[in-house]
Formats: sequence, structure tokens, C-alpha cells
Amino acid sequence: MIEFRNVSKMYGKVRALDDVSFTVGAGSVTGFLGPNGAGKSTALRILVGLARPTSGSATVLGLPYAEMGCPGLRVGTLLDAGARHPGHTGREVLTLGAMTLGLPRTRAGEVLDLVGLTERESRRTIGGYSLGMRQRLGIAHALLGDPEVLVLDEPANGLDPQGIHWMRGLLRHLADSGCAVLLSSHLLHEVEQVADNIVMIGRGRVLAQGTVEELSRGRGLEQTFLELTAHTDRGPGTGTYPGGGMFPGAGTHPGTDAGRGAA
Amino acid sequence: MIRVGHHPNDASRGARTGYHPAEITGTAPGPVTKDDTMNDTMDDTMNADRPIPFRRLLAVEARKLADTRSGKIITVVMVGLVVASVAARGTVAGPKPQTLAATAGIALGTLLPVLAILTMTGEWAHRTALTTFALEPRRHRVLAAKSVPPLVAAVALSLLAMLVAVPVTAVVAQAGGGPADWDIQPLWLLGWTGVNVLMAAQGLALGTLLLNAPAAIVISLSTPVLWAVVGRLGSAGAALAEWLDLNTTAAPLASGGMTWGEGARLATSAVFWIVLPMAAGVVRVLRKEVT
Repeated sequence: MIEFRNVSKMYGKVRALDDVSFTVGAGSVTGFLGPNGAGKSTALRILVGLARPTSGSATVLGLPYAEMGCPGLRVGTLLDAGARHPGHTGREVLTLGAMTLGLPRTRAGEVLDLVGLTERESRRTIGGYSLGMRQRLGIAHALLGDPEVLVLDEPANGLDPQGIHWMRGLLRHLADSGCAVLLSSHLLHEVEQVADNIVMIGRGRVLAQGTVEELSRGRGLEQTFLELTAHTDRGPGTGTYPGGGMFPGAGTHPGTDAGRGAA
Repeated sequence: MIRVGHHPNDASRGARTGYHPAEITGTAPGPVTKDDTMNDTMDDTMNADRPIPFRRLLAVEARKLADTRSGKIITVVMVGLVVASVAARGTVAGPKPQTLAATAGIALGTLLPVLAILTMTGEWAHRTALTTFALEPRRHRVLAAKSVPPLVAAVALSLLAMLVAVPVTAVVAQAGGGPADWDIQPLWLLGWTGVNVLMAAQGLALGTLLLNAPAAIVISLSTPVLWAVVGRLGSAGAALAEWLDLNTTAAPLASGGMTWGEGARLATSAVFWIVLPMAAGVVRVLRKEVT
């Protein structure tokens, strides 16, 4: 339902994406995994027509996203939970989305229930939302049109363990009912627990793809990930990572992608 | 808090059994209740293959003008200034409605471009363009929808000034300010409204070109100063100001009669301040990578 075909993207002389090809089928969750700045967000923006590939093509449901009549009814997107007007209430964001898609306004309340935001929270302005609440709002917005395809960029960022557990259940449920879910993340364990398939990307190139079992190769996904990304991202940090964090070898911080423009 | 196993489909449309677009057509996604204010759009809802109707985009963009505190404040300020300036002028200038209404033009000439600039730049400042253009990838349609409300506001506020001028005139005449001069030239009203619409259009063009509110507002506010200086730079400067200063070239519109020469100067400055920046801005937005 999602297909990347030889997608490359140049920013000047920098090759942000290099011949990226992969597909996401209906009824599955695909984790798009890579260190910060690997090109995940660029690829997802190209998929939904917000950026143009230098070569290659990306299609959703057999069409370039921008050629769909009303793509929001078939493809739900969450590209950056932080990209909201701080003066809007959560409910207003959903109302605007429902209006745009031609849905009854009662739909805002339905998706709020779905993501566990309360009526009171929805009446507050987003300026006062935690990142976790923004993620829930973003997922609610993505679900407005009851889509067949979900594209989520770092949806687990800022969610508390409870929220991550909730999101896993939601994505699983959506995939089981036929939805194609593509979610990007640098949080290995989050992806590992919910995804059926994994596409690993580093420095704009697909390093490996397959089912979680295939990529684990009997010694865990993390080991595969570290080996594959060791030469493609920054070198190891000079100090040891306190507490042996998620990506000790790669020296990357499991922080947000937002700090890196090329992400 | 945790609500799994509650898929939108279960609640609203029955089981998800293959998604043929034809199936989606005409299927309401949820129980349509009486307080559902969007019944008029139900005929074209849920059709993923048909583009979003323009009137819907228009309704959304109009709503965005007033759904934040800052949006409400600028609306209230503009209406307040129009009313206040007309009423205040009435106490001094006597019962002449046309003169009183024209006073509001001072506030409108400054604030309408600002409103227009904020309309066009807001989504880039808060990066909500990411959401807006994901829902409607035909960006030119969004730009068109955004352009309409400030232009309508220009017309509406011009008419408001005139409407306020009438009772103010009556009151002033009653209070001994002399006989009321009810001579209102329709051509003047039309021309003066046109001037305000041009000011809003100039703001739209600057905002679309720069996509940056502070820069566009500074340029918009400083052009009168710029032309005042340029106009004093010898004959070349005076000629330049005469042909390109939109504030000056638009003035004859409100005089009711316009010569061919004045028309040519107005057209030149309108191309320079509205058509060219808008065209360049549209091209920029259509090509821009949304991040």
C-alpha cells in the first residue's frame, strides 16, 4: 500500500536519501528505523508530497499522494507533533481537520476518546500540552478520516511508558483490521515490540529490511542495528554513555529529531 | 485512559471490509446529530477521489483567522479603531458622513495589510503548513482560500465605517454641529473601498512572498516613509514615487473620477506591489519543501 521506488533526494551536494526502495503491505506495521539524521523524516515528507524526490517515486495506494482527491480520508499522517499553533485548543485542531475532510464535527470527540484525551484537556490550548499529549493529539488527527494507511513520524517521542503501551496496542489493532502502518523511530525497543517488518536506514540508504525475526538473526535487533549503523553515522563518542543507554556505540542521543534539520 | 480495541470503524461505520472508494462515497462516518452544523457538506463528504470543495477550504481558512486569541484581538482592534476613529472625527469635523468614514481609512490602511500578512505567514511560523498541505496537497487552492477572508474583511470594514458614520452624523447634527451633509457619492464609496482592498492585497502579496511576518510587516509599515524620502530625491525620485507608491497612486480612486494617467500609475504600482510579489510568492510556496 506504500511503495518507495528508488527514491533519492539531494540537498545541494548532500545526498539525504540514496536509492531508497521498500514497500509496506496492508495489515502490517512497518518500523522505519535509523539514527537521527538518517533521512527518515525526509522520506516520509516525500511520501506525502511535502518534498519532492530528486529521482525515483513514492506512492500510496498506487498513487502519488498529491494526486489523490482528498488524501486525508485514506492516509492518516503525523509528521511532527510539535508543529501546532500554540494558541489553538486541541479540539480546534481536530475541528479544523474534520471540517477540511468534510466530516461531521462530532468526529473530533470520537478521535479524542480514541487517543485518551479528556474533554477538559481538549479545551486547553496546545501551548500548555506536554509532548505526550501532543503526540496523542497528532495521532487523533491522523485517525480523523478513518484511514487505510497511517504514516507516523516518531510517534513514540515524549510518550510515557503507559502511552507507549497504549500506542502499541492501538497500532496493532489498526494493522489487524487491515491498516498499513509505517512509523519511523530511533527508539529500537519501541519499534521491535510492535512492528512486523523493519526497514533500517542510515545516511539515506536502506541498510536492511525484513521481518523482526530475520533482522534479529538470533542475537537481537539492537546488535544488528548497531553493526549496520556503525559505519554510516557518527563515530562512537569518546566517553562511555552513562548507564549504558540505548545506542552506546553509535554515540547518538536518543533525543528528538527536531534538532537536526536534515532529519 | 487506555482505549484499545475501539477502532473508529467499529464505532461508526461497521466492519472494515475492503475499501473500495465507491463504498466510501456517501457513507456518513458517524451518526449525524442535530447539532451537526456541517450537514450542507454531507453530499460531498467521504469521497476520497474528489478534491476538497473550495468552499470548505474557504470556511476552514476563515475560521483560522479568528480561532486564536491573537486572531480575536486583531479583529476586535480593527473594528474598535474603525468605530472610534469615525466617532471621534465626528466631534470635530461636523456632520459629514463621507469625511467621517474616510477617517477610518487611516487605521485600515495600516492594519489590513498586517492582517493579510499574518494570514499568509502564520502557517509557516508555527509549521502548521505541515498539516494543512498534507490534507490539501494542491497548495495553490489553500493560498486562494487564504486570500479571500482578508479581502472580504477590507470590504466589510469599509462598509462598517460608512454604517457607523451615519448615526454619528445624525447625533452630531442633533447636538448642534450644524446641518448634516448627507451627500455620499456612491463612486467615492466604491473607490475608497477599492483602496482598502488594494491595501489588503498588498499585504497578501508581501506575506506570500516573504512567508515571514516580521519582515513583511516592517516592509509594509515602512513603505510610506520610504516613498516620502524617495519623493524628495530630485525629479527622478519624485517620478519613481509618483509611479510606484501605491498609497499615493490609489488615492485618486477615492476621488470618484480618475484620469487615464492616474489609472496607468495605479496599474503600474499595483503590478509592482501586488501582482509581481504575489506571483513570485505563489511559485515559492508551490515549490517549497514543507518542514
